[in-house]
Amino acid sequence: MKKTMALIRRNLLIYFKNRQSVFFSLLTSILVFGLYLLFLKGNYVSALNDVVDHNPGLKGLITDGDINAFSNMIMLVGVLGSALITVPFHCLSTAVNDRERKIDYDISATPIKRWQIVVSYFASAAISSIIMTGVILSLGLIVLKAMGGLYLSATGIAAAYGVIVLGSVSGTAFFMPIILLYKDGSSLGAFFGIISAVSGFVIGAYIPLSEFSESIRNVCGLFPGAHITSLLRVSLVGDVLDKMDTQIAGLDGGMFVSAIKSVFPFETYAFGRDFDAKLMVIYVVGVIALCIALMIPIYAKNYKRK
Amino acid sequence: MNAITVKGLTKKYKDVKAVDDLSFTVGEGELFAFLGENGAGKSTTINILSTILEKTEGDVKIFDHVLGKDDDEIRNKIGIVFQGSVLDYELTVRENLFTRGAYYGLDKKKIMKRLEPFMERFELNEIMNRKYMNLSGGQRRRVDIIRALLNKPRILFLDEPTTGLDPKSRKIVWDYIDYLRREKNLTIFLTTHYMEETKDADNVVILDKGKLLVHDTPSNLKSRYANSRLVWYTAKSPESDKILGEFEFTYDSDHYNAKFDKNITEFLYAHRDIITDYEVIKGSMDDVFLNLTGRTMEEK
Repeated sequence: MKKTMALIRRNLLIYFKNRQSVFFSLLTSILVFGLYLLFLKGNYVSALNDVVDHNPGLKGLITDGDINAFSNMIMLVGVLGSALITVPFHCLSTAVNDRERKIDYDISATPIKRWQIVVSYFASAAISSIIMTGVILSLGLIVLKAMGGLYLSATGIAAAYGVIVLGSVSGTAFFMPIILLYKDGSSLGAFFGIISAVSGFVIGAYIPLSEFSESIRNVCGLFPGAHITSLLRVSLVGDVLDKMDTQIAGLDGGMFVSAIKSVFPFETYAFGRDFDAKLMVIYVVGVIALCIALMIPIYAKNYKRK
Repeated sequence: MNAITVKGLTKKYKDVKAVDDLSFTVGEGELFAFLGENGAGKSTTINILSTILEKTEGDVKIFDHVLGKDDDEIRNKIGIVFQGSVLDYELTVRENLFTRGAYYGLDKKKIMKRLEPFMERFELNEIMNRKYMNLSGGQRRRVDIIRALLNKPRILFLDEPTTGLDPKSRKIVWDYIDYLRREKNLTIFLTTHYMEETKDADNVVILDKGKLLVHDTPSNLKSRYANSRLVWYTAKSPESDKILGEFEFTYDSDHYNAKFDKNITEFLYAHRDIITDYEVIKGSMDDVFLNLTGRTMEEK
């Protein structure tokens, strides 16, 4: 245990002490945040204001503060969702770097077991992701609270932290078997570029997934990241929508909130059906189990003495 | 007791034999030099002996421990300085050494105690808090050696430890290796490109394409495979040419350079009245390598 902890500590130090690495692992999140500041928030706010303007009954019931709070939370979900993909991936690149620089030879020549090396890569990537996204979530909530636009229950906050843990573990498990295909840092870097670019679309951070065709949504729904982002939406945006629904007091028969949920789905479309929160958790846990089952023989082969 | 016993060691990669039927022993406390060109199988052998790579055939014992059966015991008894840096660039020297020490189950207090002897001798105290990536080549190599000694090994594998180092750093490294041999009875298994570094070795093995060419002491190897040279300072003349006629010789500006393959003392005595200004240069390990492989180390 002590030796595994030493390996985990080493991997964490490598990730967190390399500012460049931390920055690049958050690049997609920074991009989402930047786009949000540039125009995404404006788009969301004007779209929601249009709905309110076209439904005079909602005037006065839905305030600018509500719409701002909703848009900010959508942004926070996008930032977190992409970080939960890119941070574990970036942290796992230590395994490739270790193979490239033959650092794994140095570790293999110590009494550390092969499985401890593999577990340490997994654990450190998941922990890095939990720490980074935990900090982002905490800072985001503090800033939004300070701005006076935070409508979130303690249950919602607890659920969001829970989703972060699940997302970190699933993101790590998903990339563990893939990362072993890479033997050098440059090809892994190129692949990371693709991941960075695509992840924002897969989770619907740039454009809501509801805007895409059914087949594209089906493909996106295969990735655990898409489910994790929907779960984050349920945890973080649910309360502000409930607040709006309460303010409307049934005057629109729940139409306003339903319309919002159809654009920013609280469910994930996969395998030709909608997955609700419970099913999404089950699916993500299943993906974790599948990836670990895949990972064991691959790593056993790869880390076997040759 | 032998520190290392190797019998019929073979390593195959598909149809290629990287190491071919090697057999040798290394006594405890010996400086054992392993020579060969790139691709001769030196690093592969070290990686097999240190449990990193699997052998295809053969038996290896590290002290009483059988390779493939008692690997953890072997790992606790060996330290390796690899050809390239295997410490983390982003971490400080302290962080690198503390994490590596923990791989052997050592706590911070024990690691600190083990680092004490290096503080002055290797000027470790000055660089403890510096990032490994910001160290000079010589400083990095010193830290690599300290890292290899953290678990107090009884055998230290040095895979070309001084390649690329400046003369001062090479001297510091070698002074410390000598100290470890003398004072700690550490067995040193060395591969190097610098032939002069093998002159103090107890035994030398020369490998060629995975096969063992020779295994002997440096002085025996030099006697058997290296010619001494006579440098005779005199003007070139037909008479002098005749005296050296039976040997292979050249004339360079002010002296003859003759290669000897027989007792030079008798020859010099026989011509003591004519050959008065001369020097005898003993054959070097470079000559041994050249004569055995037909190539110099630089030609590899």
